[in-house]
Amino acid sequence: MPRFFSNKRLILLLVGVIVLVALISFSLKDRQNASLPEQVVKDVVGFGQSLFSKPAHYITNLIGNVDGILNTYEENKHLKVRLSEYASGQAELTDIKSENKRLLELLGKKDDLRAFAPVQATVISRNPDQWEEKIIIDKGEEHGIKKNMAVVTAGGLIGKIVLVTPFTSTVELLSTENRNFRVAAVISGEKTFGLIEGYDRKRSELIMKRIDSSFEVKVGQKVISSGLGGIFPKGLLIGEVTEVSTDDYGLTKLAYIRPAAEFSMLDHVIIAKRSSTSVDGTDGEGTADTEGEEGS
Amino acid sequence: MIRSIIPLIAVFLFFLEPVFSLFSPIDIGGDGYTLVPRFVIVYLIFIAVYYSRQRAIVYGIILGLLYDMYHIDIIGLYAFLYPLICYIATLIIRQIHRHIVTVMFLALFLVMILELLSYFFASLISLTSIGLDEFIAARLVPTIIANSIFVGMFGWLFKNLIYKRVVQRQGETL
Repeated sequence: MPRFFSNKRLILLLVGVIVLVALISFSLKDRQNASLPEQVVKDVVGFGQSLFSKPAHYITNLIGNVDGILNTYEENKHLKVRLSEYASGQAELTDIKSENKRLLELLGKKDDLRAFAPVQATVISRNPDQWEEKIIIDKGEEHGIKKNMAVVTAGGLIGKIVLVTPFTSTVELLSTENRNFRVAAVISGEKTFGLIEGYDRKRSELIMKRIDSSFEVKVGQKVISSGLGGIFPKGLLIGEVTEVSTDDYGLTKLAYIRPAAEFSMLDHVIIAKRSSTSVDGTDGEGTADTEGEEGS
Repeated sequence: MIRSIIPLIAVFLFFLEPVFSLFSPIDIGGDGYTLVPRFVIVYLIFIAVYYSRQRAIVYGIILGLLYDMYHIDIIGLYAFLYPLICYIATLIIRQIHRHIVTVMFLALFLVMILELLSYFFASLISLTSIGLDEFIAARLVPTIIANSIFVGMFGWLFKNLIYKRVVQRQGETL
């Protein structure tokens, strides 16, 4: 049996453990803002990373295209059926849009919660040890990205910005287990407000909590961001209600929501920069006082 | 040429890991399986076994630190785990024969240890709430399978490359 540790090594190991614990507690304490060395590392590694990720995206797109060509005939049949529906829907939408615009002008209301400036970004990496649901994108402070902005794909809302460095930013996905991750949501077309809080891993569905029990929620209704959380614009699609029940205390309703966007295989995302003024509400950190009333 | 290729491969694998994690989690029959690419540590284990422990530990600290700062924002976790795994690798390899197949299995075994350690840490600071059985079914087993494919494909290549470097270095000292 060889001796595993000589005295010198034992001291080295102890010092190592102490430094490790100090560093971990330091970085756990202040995870909101990246320190300067961290920012530099993130930007430099991020640049190198994008050199690897962009060709990878290109190749996956190419494979996707081939796959698409193979399915063209089936898809074409399907789409032809949908086309006539689409034309009438489109006509109705333009009509309603112009009417909405006219009415808004009539009211003299200029600020619109729905308006946002889109910023296109490419996903350069996903956290490899997937304990936290985080992706890194290639746009940062220099491109006008700020913390807590909404991130969407063509499908719908996927998450929000949690950390910004000059040339990269980190996005936390909606499928996170972080309990401080909230999005103010509303059932589309109704006044049923609630908060997207938490993710059911087994069902792969989001949980919308704190819905007033006097409102009726039906399965199949669409859920969008309400814009009342202060940072997200209004009208970003989140998902569809699949089940309604009451919360632990029976005071408010709770709905399970199947997310509209896919959380895996992300390549291109859009950051929604809200046009009207932002305040630090439920979408951001401004909810410290509601911490105590959490049920489960 | 060979001299600089050893660290270059380590850097290359470091950048390759997050590209592969973009495909995860995969969905088979309604169950999500998380695949964690652990290419860097596999390579470092090969360096530790065939080349030099000191090198492996130094690379481990540097790449671990970059990993911590860039990906997980908890500085010190992988900067500690990577060198620790390399150290354990050299302790074990002294006891067993240095055959390529045993080294491959050793690498997979140590990847499993690394996964377990990172799971214990993640549940300690409550990054995750999944139970041990779910962790093994949805994360550990798929990860080991995925990494065994990687080890099987590139183990030979790593061994030959590192061996060439060792021979070259012996030539220099003579």
